[in-house]
Amino acid sequence: MTKSSYFKPATIALHTGYTPESDHGARAVPIYQTTSYAFDSVEGASSLFNVEQGGHIYSRISNPTVAVLEQRLAALEGGTGAICTASGMSALFATFITLCSAGDHIVSSEQIYGSTATTLRYTLKRFGITTDFVDINDPKALKAAIKPNTKLVFCESISNPGMQVSNLPEISKIANEAGVPVVVDATFATPALNRPIEHGANIVVHSITKWIGGHGAAIGGCIVDGGNFNWGNGKFPEMTEPYAPFHGMKFWEEFGPTAFVMKIRSEAMRDLGAALSPHNAFLILQGVETLNLRMQKHVSNTATLRDWLAQQDGVTWVRHPEDDAKPFVAEMFPDGAGSMLCFGVAGGREGGAAFIKTVSLASHLANVGDSRTLVLHPGSTTHSRLTKTDMEAAGINEDLIRVSVGLEDIKDIQADFAKGLKAAIRAAG
Amino acid sequence: MELTINNAPVYVATGGKDFNPKLPTVLFLHGSGGDHRTWALQTRWFAYHGYSVLAPDLPGHSLSGGEAFTSIEQSGPWLSDFMEAVGVKSAHVVGHSQGFLSALELARTAPEKLMSITAIGTAAAIPVNQALIDTAKANSDKAAQMMCNWGFGPDAHLGNSSVPGMQPIAISRAIMSRNPLAADLQACADYKGGADVVASLSVPAHCILASADKMTPVKAGMALAESLGVTPTIIKGYGHMLPLEAPKQTLTALRAFIEMVQTKRAAA
Ligand SMILES: Cc1ncc(COP(=O)(O)O)c(C=O)c1O
Repeated sequence: MTKSSYFKPATIALHTGYTPESDHGARAVPIYQTTSYAFDSVEGASSLFNVEQGGHIYSRISNPTVAVLEQRLAALEGGTGAICTASGMSALFATFITLCSAGDHIVSSEQIYGSTATTLRYTLKRFGITTDFVDINDPKALKAAIKPNTKLVFCESISNPGMQVSNLPEISKIANEAGVPVVVDATFATPALNRPIEHGANIVVHSITKWIGGHGAAIGGCIVDGGNFNWGNGKFPEMTEPYAPFHGMKFWEEFGPTAFVMKIRSEAMRDLGAALSPHNAFLILQGVETLNLRMQKHVSNTATLRDWLAQQDGVTWVRHPEDDAKPFVAEMFPDGAGSMLCFGVAGGREGGAAFIKTVSLASHLANVGDSRTLVLHPGSTTHSRLTKTDMEAAGINEDLIRVSVGLEDIKDIQADFAKGLKAAIRAAG
Repeated sequence: MELTINNAPVYVATGGKDFNPKLPTVLFLHGSGGDHRTWALQTRWFAYHGYSVLAPDLPGHSLSGGEAFTSIEQSGPWLSDFMEAVGVKSAHVVGHSQGFLSALELARTAPEKLMSITAIGTAAAIPVNQALIDTAKANSDKAAQMMCNWGFGPDAHLGNSSVPGMQPIAISRAIMSRNPLAADLQACADYKGGADVVASLSVPAHCILASADKMTPVKAGMALAESLGVTPTIIKGYGHMLPLEAPKQTLTALRAFIEMVQTKRAAA
């Protein structure tokens, strides 16, 4: 049972939002590869524009294939509605600019994805939206950082790359008491492992490029409205005052629990134009259909690899979100805290480079959440120009290997890593 | 639109157009735990096609202040005062579920204020399971979940939505869980006067029923239609929450009826 159906998540992932289409009975969700939709009559056209009825007008705003994905992800997260976008970054950007205008303020966890941090620190700042970064699990620091012009608190449920679990019940309580919504990037968790709305968060954002799509085939993003925030608290005139470009609509009055996603549909989807293509929506839907099964396997492979690594020569340390013994971690992630782990190899920066050069099954690339195992050595790629001290200041050791554990047979992953570790030991001399 | 009745603020949705009491008015009354958003996909059509629309949040619900009614009978005088306050002499009154019982009480209090009456997903009496009332008293979120589980038909549980990207069940649940569901359900359970009012009605009436309604089973709706002497519109495959689950079909049936009444009035 979820908030939107008597069906259970595994069933929702397969059925929600689509029943076999009447003309042809297509069982798989059809790809509506079209820019626009013929109006059935002049009256029908004006009724769509007047929002007298729902429907599709132009695929920058909405599309039937994309809508199935949106409805499925909304149901899986327990939200009232969802909007899919061209990428995770556009989902985040749309969320930030919908809630904030020049002069507004954001409180963000300091442990977030690099590009999101750059958006907050540099891009939004150019438009007069400022961000303070805090240790999100420090209630005092969070409380102190929220100002009268703060419009959202942002964190990742499991952070990239630090893999810190954010204490969502505590964060949501503090932010909501201050009249501020909590936006959670839940990319590393997926709704199969943790549903932030159930822990008090108000808006959930995903890069569906990652585990939700799950096959490394398509870039996409998603924004889910929790329907659980009171936009009428006086802090959000954008949600309560008439919006001139769209019938003078007052979104909170008109839509209540979907005010936020309806505002995104009416404004950010028009202005940013970052629509998810129907074909990518179809590819990502194939991933959603097996999300529960795949996440179970991702998690079990991760647990086995983590235990195995801890016993290998050439491994100096292993880190996974479940290392954090605080009770909220286990409460938020009863079925495992994701399939990312980090470990250190013998030989420091050279050892790391030797490991990466030697593994062959694991792919060396800058992505996570593929069905295949992915490895990255920041010391010889993203952070190669930094000194050891500078790297450590950024919370990344020279010997760190980041792994996105895939769905291969665990024995094959172990054999591949064993070769890499041997090479690292050799490099260490 | 906002006004004050009995010293409490009342929010009224007007379908996206300013309210004009000179136009024929359609008054929409929501059901237990609901609000004006029940009617989002019916009100705008009427407002954009020559009617004035009033879809109030009843006292204690969503954007309106005040206390929820503790009996259906209280809604009659309140609705009569409400219509006077907005300057409307008579209206086509449309009620979903409990909203129809309120419409009946308006008819008892001030029969001249109705041009027609439409019953949607409802009956002349709405007995409510005591366990549901008890749950609502203890935990409105849990009761809202039970109501939505029962109230919505199979299509909505499959996550289909006429508005792209949305989840009607989750939306209703969010609204209901914050509204005075226990008071509403108790008022429905206690209400016994419906059949007498139905027998005394002299305005045109219509029933729009759902074949898969588990809250007010279609059999009870059929009995209502029979006492009213009307042939009901039965929307197949949908549940109790018709205006949300099958907005287009509900609107089509409602339009046909109200337009017919208007045509007859114009001819008379
Ligand atoms: C946590 C997190 N959020 C957002 C993004 C951005 O998503 P996308 O690449 O789909 O734009 C990423 C990408 O790595 C990510 O890891």
